[in-house]
Amino acid sequence: MENGRNRKYTEAPIKILLAKPAIDGHDRGIFVLARAFRDAGMDVIYAGLLPTPEEVVDTAINEDVDVIALSLLNGAHLTAFKNVMDILNKKDVHDIAVVGGGIIPDDDKPILEKMGVTGNFGPGTPLKIIIKHVRERAMEVRKIKEDEYK
Amino acid sequence: MSINNLISGILSGDNRSIARAISIVESADIKTREKIIKEIYNRGNAKIIGITGPPGVGKSTIIGNIAPMLSDYGKISILAVDPASPFSGGSILGNRIRMQETLSKKNIFMRSTSNRLYNGGLSEYSWDIIKIMEASGSDFIILETVGSGQSDIDIMNIADITCVVLAPGLGDEIQAIKSGIMEIGDIFIVNKIDREGSYIAIKDIRETLNLGNKIKTPVIGINSINKENYDKFLDYIIKWDKKNYKKKYIGKLKQIIIEDIYNKYSCYIDNMEYDENTLKKDPYTVAEAIIKNMNEIIDK
Ligand SMILES: Nc1nc2c(ncn2[C@@H]2O[C@H](COP(=O)(O)OP(=O)(O)OP(=O)(O)O)[C@@H](O)[C@H]2O)c(=O)[nH]1
Ligand SMILES: [Mg+2]
Repeated sequence: MENGRNRKYTEAPIKILLAKPAIDGHDRGIFVLARAFRDAGMDVIYAGLLPTPEEVVDTAINEDVDVIALSLLNGAHLTAFKNVMDILNKKDVHDIAVVGGGIIPDDDKPILEKMGVTGNFGPGTPLKIIIKHVRERAMEVRKIKEDEYK
Repeated sequence: MSINNLISGILSGDNRSIARAISIVESADIKTREKIIKEIYNRGNAKIIGITGPPGVGKSTIIGNIAPMLSDYGKISILAVDPASPFSGGSILGNRIRMQETLSKKNIFMRSTSNRLYNGGLSEYSWDIIKIMEASGSDFIILETVGSGQSDIDIMNIADITCVVLAPGLGDEIQAIKSGIMEIGDIFIVNKIDREGSYIAIKDIRETLNLGNKIKTPVIGINSINKENYDKFLDYIIKWDKKNYKKKYIGKLKQIIIEDIYNKYSCYIDNMEYDENTLKKDPYTVAEAIIKNMNEIIDK
């Protein structure tokens, strides 16, 4: 990369936080995802097992990520995802997109969508589809940010 | 939020403003960066602690341990740089994992950043990020370099104290001696002294420093699992005088000028006419002609 070239704020690599707001012990999948996002040109933060939704949100804010990718495998997604969304809303954060993944029953998907958690990909979803979705969501929030700092 | 709100947010220590401002200086154009730095320059006074050393020696673990101890002495911020992939330009920013626990417990602001393939162990705008962290009221800023071990030399132009971390058993100590990393350290830390070979590692480093006229440079063996000898390390950091004012200033001044000149020339060169005649001339001759034309290009 060249030094000191002219940049546009919104053209920087997409920054994504991979988080599991509860302990479920399945770490492998998330490493595969992390590498896939990196290879798609994104800056990926995997913050380990984040025990609380508060920590997920604080990390996302301090790292100023575009996207939080939440994953859960133990069926506790509804409460966990809702907690993250509630804290984001309480803090009036609307320029971070939240996408979900894990074993999510079809009935729960519309509920998650309504909360603002999109994607909600099940196991075996092709990485290409996940990456495309993350890009789209990231561009949405980039647009909000771009308009703010002129 | 406008830039003005952002600046008052930084000065009042609001994490969201600090975080956003960092993204902007990292990624926005030079004008926006300038606007922010102008307003906050001189608005803080932090001691900057650089942590460098080969991959895997325990830099992040050490920061995770020392940050909460230091937080008894003032506000801490942390910046950790990871390398970008030369293939995709993306990165996995993994330093946070080792610190997460203390960060949440002590409410410490930490930022991970990719070097975006910038050489020297830091990112291109690390200086600017540090200024933002200083203006937010930090008393100590801890900076972790990429950890290539060989070329992480920018740190000594930005930190007040450069701590070189090594570990026994990996041949790192020898590597370090060879690669010139010995020159940049103010303090040498041998981490993982629970492991075999640490005594020899400490002795080797001590002797090399002595030969290099660095008899007074401390070498401390620490164990990051049970925190043995962290009290000594902490003591050095607390007592160390700030330094490097002029060096840091000159370094940044040069970077700004290079960036500005580069942008202007680069724009000019991109927009030149390239007919067959130009392409036949050797690039040295053409470059010389362009440089002679400097006033016109720079004044634009
Ligand atoms: N035995 C032992 N292991 C340690 C010690 N300190 C750190 N480690 C381990 O060393 C490994 C690397 O630690 P990190 O803190 O990630 O090292 P790093 O220098 O930040 O690594 P990079 O950022 O990748 O260059 C981890 O598995 C740590 O748990 C120690 O004092 N003793
Ligand atoms: Mg590290």
